[in-house]
Parts: sequence; C-alpha cells; structure tokens
Amino acid sequence: MSSTAAAGAIDHHHDSTTVTGIPNKKLLMWAFLASDCMFFGCLISTHLIYRLHPPPGTPNARDVFSIELTSFSTFILLMSSLMMALAVNSIQKGNLKSLRWSLLTTIFFGLIFLGCQVYEFRNFVFEKHLTITNSILGTTFFTLTGTHGLHVLIGVIWLTAMLIYSFTGRLTEKDAIDVESMGLYWHFVDIVWIVIFTAVYLLEYL
Amino acid sequence: MEALAKSDFLAKGETAAKPLVLWRPTAKTGLLSWLTTVDHKKIGFLYGISGLFFFIFGGFEALLIRIQLAVPNNSFLTSAQYSEMFTMHGTTMIFLVVMPMGAAFFNFIMPLQIGARDVAFPRLNAFSFWTFAVGAVILNLGWFMKDGAPDAGWFGYAPLTTRHFSPTHAIDMWVMGLQLLGVASIAAALNFIVTIINMRAPGMTMMRLPVFTWMTLFTSFLIVLSFPAITIALVEIMMDRLFGTNFFEVSNGGLPILWQHLFWIFGHPEVYILILPAMGIISEILPTFSRKPLFGYPIVVFSGASIGFLGFGVWSHHMFTTGMGTTATAAFALMTMAIAVPTGVKIFNWIGTLWNGHLTMRTPMIFAIGFLWMFMIGGLSGVMHSAAPSDAEQHGSYFIVAHFHYVLIGGSLFALFAGIHYWFPLMFGRKVSEFWGKTSFWFVFVGFNVTFFPMHFLGMEGMPRRTFTYDGDMGWNVGNMTATIGAFILAIGVAIYFLTMIYTFFKGEKTSKDPWDARTLEWSLPNPPPEYNFKVIPTVHARDGWWYEKRHTEEIQKEQAEHAKEDEAHGGIHMPYQSIYPFLASVGILIGALGVAVIDPASTTQDPGFWGPKVAVTILGGLIMFVSVVLWALEGNDGYHIHLNEDGSIKSEDHHAGH
Amino acid sequence: MIAPASTAHASGHELEQSKFWIFVQLAMLLAVITGLELVTVYLPFMKWILVAALVILSTVKFMFVIFYFMHLRWDKAFCTILFFIGLVLAGGTMWALLKLFSVADSKPLTLDAPAAIVRTVA
Repeated sequence: MSSTAAAGAIDHHHDSTTVTGIPNKKLLMWAFLASDCMFFGCLISTHLIYRLHPPPGTPNARDVFSIELTSFSTFILLMSSLMMALAVNSIQKGNLKSLRWSLLTTIFFGLIFLGCQVYEFRNFVFEKHLTITNSILGTTFFTLTGTHGLHVLIGVIWLTAMLIYSFTGRLTEKDAIDVESMGLYWHFVDIVWIVIFTAVYLLEYL
Repeated sequence: MEALAKSDFLAKGETAAKPLVLWRPTAKTGLLSWLTTVDHKKIGFLYGISGLFFFIFGGFEALLIRIQLAVPNNSFLTSAQYSEMFTMHGTTMIFLVVMPMGAAFFNFIMPLQIGARDVAFPRLNAFSFWTFAVGAVILNLGWFMKDGAPDAGWFGYAPLTTRHFSPTHAIDMWVMGLQLLGVASIAAALNFIVTIINMRAPGMTMMRLPVFTWMTLFTSFLIVLSFPAITIALVEIMMDRLFGTNFFEVSNGGLPILWQHLFWIFGHPEVYILILPAMGIISEILPTFSRKPLFGYPIVVFSGASIGFLGFGVWSHHMFTTGMGTTATAAFALMTMAIAVPTGVKIFNWIGTLWNGHLTMRTPMIFAIGFLWMFMIGGLSGVMHSAAPSDAEQHGSYFIVAHFHYVLIGGSLFALFAGIHYWFPLMFGRKVSEFWGKTSFWFVFVGFNVTFFPMHFLGMEGMPRRTFTYDGDMGWNVGNMTATIGAFILAIGVAIYFLTMIYTFFKGEKTSKDPWDARTLEWSLPNPPPEYNFKVIPTVHARDGWWYEKRHTEEIQKEQAEHAKEDEAHGGIHMPYQSIYPFLASVGILIGALGVAVIDPASTTQDPGFWGPKVAVTILGGLIMFVSVVLWALEGNDGYHIHLNEDGSIKSEDHHAGH
Repeated sequence: MIAPASTAHASGHELEQSKFWIFVQLAMLLAVITGLELVTVYLPFMKWILVAALVILSTVKFMFVIFYFMHLRWDKAFCTILFFIGLVLAGGTMWALLKLFSVADSKPLTLDAPAAIVRTVA
C-alpha cells in the first residue's frame, strides 16, 4: 500500500505527507516550545527583577538554599534527559523492550526530582521559615520553581501514560513521533531547569 | 507525487492491533453535529457567530457609555456601573469580537487559500473554539451575579486588581476568563502555524501564499509569542488574590509597575494581532476590485514580518509617563517611530494597487477604501505618541481614545466588515444587496467619524479617559454631545449592516461560483464549499493561483483528472472523524475555572475546611478535562474515506477500521 | 514483546548505533559542566568574570541539549529557526526588562527615600 512501509525502513527525519518534510506533531511541539520560552522568560524575569530590589528584611537566599540538594536534582534531571533521548532512539528502531526500560527510568528520575523538590519546599517552609506569603523572595521562588515542578509533573504523567500505552500493542515504530514530541517537551523542561539552576540558585552564591 | 498521496493514514492502517473502538459521532446536522464538528468551516462559522453576538453586546455597552457622557453631570449610570461598562466594552471588543472574527476568517478562508482539506489538527481546532467560548462565558458571568462585572479596566492595572481594592469575584472572573481566552488563542495559533507551513498544496510556495494567509501566519506567531506574557501576569495576580502572595503587594516589596510591563509585553503585540488580519483582508480585496495584482507583494509580506517583529520592542510606549529613565524612554520612542515605517510602506502598496486599476466600487471595496483612510488617520495620531514629551500631554486623555478607535474601528472593524461582504457569497452562496450594503457603509462611516473625530479635540482640551462624568464649564459639552449623536448614527449603520446580513442569509440573491472574478484559490470552490473542500487537491502554478487556472482551463483540467485518479487509487479523500472530546475537555475547563474564580471558600482562613468546596469543584473540573484528553488521545486521529461522483456529490463513504 | 521490530535500518545504521554513545558521552559531559559551574561560584575572581563564566557554561549546556538530545542537529533547519524565534524574543525581553528595572529611577522608595528626594530638590 505504502512504499515507505513496504521498504521496511521508516525515515524518522522526513515525513513525505507534509510540505516541509517535518511531521506536523514535531512542528507543533517546536512552536509550542518557542511559546514556552516566552512563558518561562517572563517568569524568570519576574524573579530576577524582584531580586534586584529586595525589600528590607528579605532573608538571605544563601542561608535558605541548599546547593548540595539542588545540584543533585539537577544531575538527576540531566540523567532523565539522557534516558528520554535513549527512549526515542529505541522506538525509532522499533525496540519496544528497550523503550519501556528507558521510559521507566525517565519516570523514576522525574519522580526523584519531584521528591527532591517536595523535600526542598518542606524544608524551606518549616525549617527556614520561607513561605510563599511572608516575603517577596518566597513568592517568586516558590511560584517559579513550582511552575517548573508542575511542568515536570505533567511530563511524568505523560510518560506514564505512554508507558502504559506501550503495553497495548498499538504503539509501534510508526508512532515514534508521539514519543519524540513527548521527548522534546521533557528535554525542554530540562533546559529550563538548566537556566533556573544558574539564574536562581548559583547567582546567589556569588 | 508521494507528497500528494497523503498515504500517512493508509500506512498506519497496516498494524496488526485493532483500533480502540470509542464512540464516533457521525451526526451531520443538529446540535450534536455542531458540538462534535472538526470541520474548519463550521468552526469558523461558530467563531464568526460568537464574535458578532458579542459585537452587539459590546456595542450596547458603548452606547450606554455615550448616553452617560452626553451631557455634563449626568446620572444615567453610577460611577461603579460606568467602570463596569468601559472595562467590559474594551475587553469584549478586543478579546470577544475582533479576535474571534479574525479567527473566523483564519479558520474559514486560510485552509481554502492554501488548497488544504482541513487544518493540521482538526480536533485541537475544535478545542480552541470551545475553550474560547468558555472564557467568554466566564468573563461575562459577572453581569448575572451580585459581584458584578469586572471593573478594573481592560488592562487590569495592579494594584487596582488586588484583593484589597477589588475584593469581589469580578476580577477573579476577568483573570480566569482572559487566561482561558489566551489558552484558546495559543492552541488555535499553533494549529494555524503548522497548517500554513506544512499543508500547502503542491506548487504553493511560501512566496505564492495569498497575503491574507501570510498575515494569518504572522498573527499566529504574535499570539504564540505574546500571550505567555499575559499568562504569567495573570498567574501572578491570581496567586496574589488566591494565596496572598506579594507580587503586587507594595507593603511587602511587590512592584505593581511589573504588571504594566508584563501586560504591555503582551498588549502591544496584541494590537498587531488585531490589525494584521485586517491588513490581510484588505490586501485580498483591493487587487480583486482593482483588476490588478497586489502592488509589491514581497514588500507587503516583509513589512508584515517586520511589524510583527518590531511589535515586541515597543511595549513601553504605553508607559512613558511612569518614569522609566531617559535611555529606556528614548529607545522605546525610536522603536515606535521605526514601526510606523513598515505600516506606511503597506499603505503605499495599497495605493499603488489602486493606481491605474479598473476600480469596481462594490460594497467590499468601499469598506476597504474606508479602511485605508481611517486607518491612516489612526496611524498618524498613533505615531504622534511615539514622541515621549508629546505623549505625556496626551496620555490618559480622550485623544488616546480617539486614536485607538480610529485604528480599531476604522482599521480592524472596517476591514472585517469588508471581509464579511467579500466572502459572504463563498460562505453561503448568496450575495448581499449592493444598495443596503452601501447604505450601511455610509451610516457607519459618517457615524464613526462624528463619534470619534471630536474626541481628538476633547482630549486636547484635557478630558480624561475612564471618568464617568464631567462639569458643564469645562468646554467639553459640544464635543461630547456630538460624539453621542455620532454613536447613535453608527449604531443605526451597524443595525442596517446586520439586518441586511440576516436577510441575505435567508433570502438573498443566489450567486454563481466566483462572483467577484477573484484571484485566490478559495474562489475555485462551489459555494458554499463542500465539507471536503477540494474535489482534487489543486496544483498551484502562480501567485494568484485561481486567476491562472481560469486562464489555463485545459491544462488544469487534464492535471486535475490525473490527480483525481491518483487520489482514488490511494483510497479516496480522507476525512477526519468528528469528536466530542474537545468539547468535553472544555466543559471540564469551565467547571475547573468556575471553581478557581467563582466558588466561595467555606468560611474564614483559620478554618481547615476553608478550601473545601473551591478545591472540590476545581479538582472535579480538572478530572473531567484529564479524562477527556486521555480519551481524545486514545481515539486517535483516524478518519474515513469518501469517494465522489463527477458532480462532486458523495458517492460512498468508506469506514474501514484503522484508517 | 507484542510487536517485535522486524525492520532493520539499511541506511544510517551506523549513525543510529553511534547515537547511543553520543548521548551517553554527552550526558557525562553535561554532568561535568554542572560540576564546573558549582566550582565556579566559589572561585575568588571578580564577580563579572564569574557571571560571564556561568552564563557561558549554562549556554553551552543548553545548546548541547537542544542540538543533540532534541535532535535539532539532525532535523530540518526550520525547527531550529522556529525555536530560536521564541528563544531570541524571550531573551531580548528578559534583557530589556532587567535593564528597565536596574536604572536608578526604578528603585522603589524606601522609608528614608522621601527625605533624600526632598534633599535633592532643595
């Protein structure tokens, strides 16, 4: 019926049904990520602007933050990105078994990251007495990292749904684009964290 | 030819696993067909109808404002009611009228212009519309509640919108409504971007795209890149209102000025979101009725691109009076002056199109020429504001009101009216009476100028915006009375316009295909267009594709016969299945948003059950949305195939599982 | 396995194989850069050097992830253009906002500020 299917090899970098050869879903995801750049750009700007003008009585961020924990979760998120890239690689080769292990590991790392964040938030609120209402630092910090955490959570739910779906037998090499666009989202969450790690955490230590 | 074959869906059908059988609505008429439609033309129609409905709503609010201001010290409206009126008039006209009317044309016309059978993501398109509808409902809910409608201005400047100054749910509804309209607009815009980039017919290169499609693309980019800024601003004000954070709480170090920046980072591109579609419509109408191709097509396109790009660098000219420092003020003043250049270039291109053309003065053309004039006046008063010292004089005065109404009515609305007239025969197969069309134009034109021209003078004489009344000895009496009279003439014009449209819809003169002898592909279709749009996907040979086809009939016929055979060999025309899940997802969003914005917490903050009902309703809405989205994903983007008779009627439908 | 992969790649086979190692090595590299960043903040250099170093290091990380993990390197250039439109506008907006809020005029008034203003006026 279709020459691409008959030949056996699917070209994952070219979709013959679209004008540009880029699959629609991939284009949609990249356009959405461009939009998300503005989203996080504004949110990170808000945080940095308020850090430019801390009102009197703002707690010292360095006393609140725990750089060890944050470095650990940064590392974990990077590793989850690696596993996500491997998952996309697996589905493009039609290797479902490898896909499932990679997805499972990605989810696992994502959950560790979220766990670290929950621990961090609890620590800040109950030990360091930094809450979302009691200072502008708390307000912008919790909103920014919380929004990022929400993105991670959505990603974890999406990954889990995909993992479950892979057991129905309907996920095949031809659907690699579905996994790939999910991967794009996940990597984007990672690069946002790369920026947050530097702009929100590391700069406070200078 | 592989690209033509659209074999994607066939390739998917080969897998061994059976598709999940979910409910597939197939109704073609009745309420269900509208709730489950994924047809871009029907969705465009829904956008258009909602836009026109809210236009009457917003117009009514405007008339009440004008009645209140007709005479000094009037007590027709209280100051509180007046605040609700101008807030909702602005919000309605921008978000619920001009934007959806633009979206209506994007949906209906753009896929036809590029020779596509639908948009790239038909169900996402339906979701965009329903989410828009949900946002519109939440925005207007206040009229029916004791809290009242939002009353902090369409720009919602903090700290006016904080809980301290606006304790009722009115602002919560404004925040939530705008947030959802943003989601809807972004989803729709992403869809249009992918459609224009990826779904063009063979031969339709980017530099052959009709200008309206180009402007759709630029507008979509502006939406996608500017709305996140207001999303963030709205999230911040919502956090302040719901959880007591300090973003705009001055006593704890909040900076209300940040709201203004974030709002205008969105707000200024938004202005171009409102005007670029209008420019696209005008660029279609002028060549058609001048019997000439558009003058300087590439320049018009690149001007559109530069307007879109520069539009992100001028936001602070709305804030010259806030004291940003000299460097910033100078920079934004220069950028604002710069952005007038591509706009001026376009005006000259349109004049160049008219120049030496064989002008036929039909109603769409008259509205289009009205646009040229009026938009130019609005543009000239606009570029005056780029000089910061001059802006400081005009800021917050009726001069500004006059300026943006010249741009929004004389610009956007005239073009939308022109567009409705122009495409009405294509959409409904009936033609609007020239006499009544022109009558409505003159009423609208005269009424509009009588209303808004005096406002320039009122502004210069110092009359402030957003003030519900004034004293009789300020010298503003004549101007205001004139404006009110003008508003009623304008209202009569609009009424004639709409009554004519309604009459034409039911009883108008039937027209043949392509009544204006136009140039772009949408006119190659029978009217109204069939649900599959193109019997055979056209091959585009020139910039004005349909114009070329009309002059090379034999060649085109041969080519189309060949392509029809190929289509049939590949299983016929692929149509997407209808789906209820986009609608259900939006219903979930509605419930969740009501939970966030409207439902009262139980009692006092000290009570642990404080968040009970609010959280319950929000989670319920979220769950409905989540389940709908999951089912939406599981149901897949399948479709069926149709086979056509010679005359274009449907011979048979082909519902093989897995297609 | 429910749907075993019966397909083998004839072309680009080697690239697919080597991608695995590219990804693994890249992840190690990113981890090392993260470590470098951590060390950087404790170095006794001038602040602007450190800030510049941090910005460069995180940009390098950012670019590696989008070009390798997110496949931009192997995809059509249009994906890159599309994403960079958003990235450049977001970066420009952030830069402009931070500039706007760093000028003296934007400093919020503190309790003793009115006195300062009175002094300058007088």
